Amino acid sequence: MFAEQLINGVTLGSIYAIVALGYTLVFGVLDIINMAHGEIFMFGAFIGMTVVTSIGAPLWAGFLGAMLATAALGYLLERFALRPLRGKSGASALAPLISTIGVSILLENVAHKLFGAGNHLFETPFAEIRFQVGSFTVYLVQAVILGIAVLLMAGLSLWLYRTKAGKALRATAESLETAGILGIDTTRMITATVVIASVMGGIAGVLVGMAFNYINNQMGLPMGLKGLAIIIFGGMGSVPGAVAGGILLGLSETFMVAYGSSGYRDAIAFFIIIAVLLVRPQGLFGGTAAESR
Amino acid sequence: MSLSWINPYYLLVSSFLLINVLLGVSIYITLSTGQLSLGNAGFMSIGAYTTAILTTRHGIPMPAGIAAGTLLAAITGILVGIPALRLKGVYLAIATLGFGEVVRVLFVNWEKLTGGAVGIAAIPQMGRRILSIFRDTGFSPEDWGLRSNQFISLTVFFLLLAVTVLVILFFLRLGSGRVGRAYSAIRMDEPAAEASGINTTYYKVLAFTQGAALSGFAGALFAHVTSYISPADFTYHRAVEILVFAIFGGSEHLLGPVFGAMFLTAVPELLRPVSGYRNILYGIVLILVIIFRPQGWIDPPLIRRLRGGRTPESR
Repeated sequence: MFAEQLINGVTLGSIYAIVALGYTLVFGVLDIINMAHGEIFMFGAFIGMTVVTSIGAPLWAGFLGAMLATAALGYLLERFALRPLRGKSGASALAPLISTIGVSILLENVAHKLFGAGNHLFETPFAEIRFQVGSFTVYLVQAVILGIAVLLMAGLSLWLYRTKAGKALRATAESLETAGILGIDTTRMITATVVIASVMGGIAGVLVGMAFNYINNQMGLPMGLKGLAIIIFGGMGSVPGAVAGGILLGLSETFMVAYGSSGYRDAIAFFIIIAVLLVRPQGLFGGTAAESR
Repeated sequence: MSLSWINPYYLLVSSFLLINVLLGVSIYITLSTGQLSLGNAGFMSIGAYTTAILTTRHGIPMPAGIAAGTLLAAITGILVGIPALRLKGVYLAIATLGFGEVVRVLFVNWEKLTGGAVGIAAIPQMGRRILSIFRDTGFSPEDWGLRSNQFISLTVFFLLLAVTVLVILFFLRLGSGRVGRAYSAIRMDEPAAEASGINTTYYKVLAFTQGAALSGFAGALFAHVTSYISPADFTYHRAVEILVFAIFGGSEHLLGPVFGAMFLTAVPELLRPVSGYRNILYGIVLILVIIFRPQGWIDPPLIRRLRGGRTPESR
């Protein structure tokens, strides 16, 4: 029982971590909280569902479809809701917050029009396959989710810290102006960041569909809020912080439901961040003091 | 003379519009010290639930219930405002958003007190209460050619209008006085404000508390206008809606959120003919406006121009 809950918790947590990574990438580079991230995640889940369940294509095609669609959404988001505000006089730090809220309202309702309200079944071909390890059961789906999550996180870390493009991205995050002077095409880097973050959101959407079998057009919001809670906990812009925070939240929620009261499940994330912020306002992994952004 | 053109539905929408104006002002006050609080939906729910429980279950008179709701929201505001001093910017925004969610989940789960997810029904309605007082004194709305539901919505509307105007005037006065100047000084440069002898801790907590009290007040009024509340009325969506009032309307002048709340409450009603697409259009309008006027519709230069003064910026 305990070991199975542990696996459930880590699986859930790794999905949370991927969502949180999307936030942390955009925040690290642009200092912007992308309120539309949860809805892009939801769109990824729906595209995945359409490809896999409605068309009956294999799972990898579902992932591919979701990645392409969310990449396009990420590009549109950057091009039409973020870029026009950059460097515009009078645009406070709050302006992009509102424009991304506008995008999130738009996407939620477009999804409502396209896919309809209510729960949609997300069928995975190997949903029932499980195997016995010692005394407990592991579902193949969980193993696949965990594998994809680990690959994604490792890939992102390698790209960020071992490639030239990753270095350019980190330079852009450090200082937009200086990076521009040093010959980095910052507009391109920013677009790339938002697109990559959105693709991660889309992948997480498909993973959630696989894990829970049901998706609906309002699932973006709770997931988005949890993602925000995680990056607060782990420190804004910190990749290891997002991963640790995501796993911890997944574990706490799973154990809360298993051994405590399920009614408070969705509030755990906020209990945790309120507690963390009171002790360490910059998050557990945040290096610098929380400054006004 | 026939007064049958008075439409209770539009009056009800206008009453919600006024409550939204109060909420817009409440987030503006906290924002005017540079603190972005998204906890107003939580404070609002505290005000609404307090008066709903007191008046519905314990027979407390409505004005006392509203006062108690406002007071409890203010006290919670102090309790949240003091630790919130440690946080800035988006950290504060998300922590206060978290506060709102925690309050909501508490109301959902504390079924004995709050009725859980179902909420509280049959809360005394403001207009009906006033009508019954009037009837006791021998007055009947039919004497004026009004149906009683018209009378009820009219009294609610004018009562809220009076309250809203008073609140706006109060905070406009406050803004031009000592407190308001302290607020703007803290917003512009906190260390400088502190260096020039302003007790920043006091004023920041004061602003936070005023915002919380006003949200609680608006929530209490909301409970007595709808006569039914549930945790679904105070979700994240409400918190974001209140924030959007302020940013859309303009967060540098009190009249910004007032305008924002009025415009954004009216727009969905005006979009009713295309009701299937109105939330999509709402999203698009929001994006377009913030791109073309990122500081919001109303900003201090606009106010100066409206007043007819041609004085150039003297900063």
